[in-house]
Amino acid sequence: MRNPLRSEAEAFRFLIAVILGALVIVGAAYVNTWLGVAATVAAIAGISWWLKQEPVPGAADGARDPHDPPH
Amino acid sequence: MAAHAHAEHVEHHGPPAPHYSSRVTPGILGMFLFIASEIMLFGSFFTAYFFVRVVNGTPWPTPPYHLPVYVAFINTCILVTSSFTMHWALQSIKRGNVWGLRAGLLLTFLMGLTFLITQAIEYSRIGFNTSDGAFATIFFCLTGLHGVHVFVGLSILLFMTIRAFRGHFSAEEHHGVEIGGIYWHFVDVMWIVVYMTVYIL
Repeated sequence: MRNPLRSEAEAFRFLIAVILGALVIVGAAYVNTWLGVAATVAAIAGISWWLKQEPVPGAADGARDPHDPPH
Repeated sequence: MAAHAHAEHVEHHGPPAPHYSSRVTPGILGMFLFIASEIMLFGSFFTAYFFVRVVNGTPWPTPPYHLPVYVAFINTCILVTSSFTMHWALQSIKRGNVWGLRAGLLLTFLMGLTFLITQAIEYSRIGFNTSDGAFATIFFCLTGLHGVHVFVGLSILLFMTIRAFRGHFSAEEHHGVEIGGIYWHFVDVMWIVVYMTVYIL
């Protein structure tokens, strides 16, 4: 599962996903209010599905603090 | 002594050291918990917005007031661009490009500062204040809370920029930039949500 707060790369990808979702919602709401509500539900479902995917290799590895003890 | 020296080069096996997570560094865990608490704080303000606008049916915006949608859109573009420069800064230092890091952080800071100053100017010109009804109160509470978070983010960015120009970061050691970058993207995400709910919808 992706954690958007685990690394800067994941946070940036989450921001892009939120921007795309916002554009969809605003566009749908501009056409019809209830379409906007439906788009909101769909956007939340879509982002939730996206978060449940495996992170891109290396993206979840926040810069390791060299002063941390070894794992 | 030879045995001790040999032991220092042996890979650690087994569970992690006490008080340390095996999955996330302490700094990132701390930022994660801080952001989680701030999301809850924003949640409470959005709940108030919901009750004022949806449950109570307050007109939005309440006549005769108007919201500066276009200026806020420009501000949104500035803040989103600042996230791109923040990402660029971090990608630069991961490749060992120190000047890319410095340029990215400086640009991010300047754009964040522009956002905050623009918002302050809009506050002075908007034509209503917190005592002008529930609509005005919620507007200033939501945007003001976000503005405070931008200010905190600018403070973090300032420290990171100063450290970057002092040569504290490298391709191997840039943990401070990573953590600050996570917070800045969180601030941007929250603004997208605030802008959408307060200004657009």
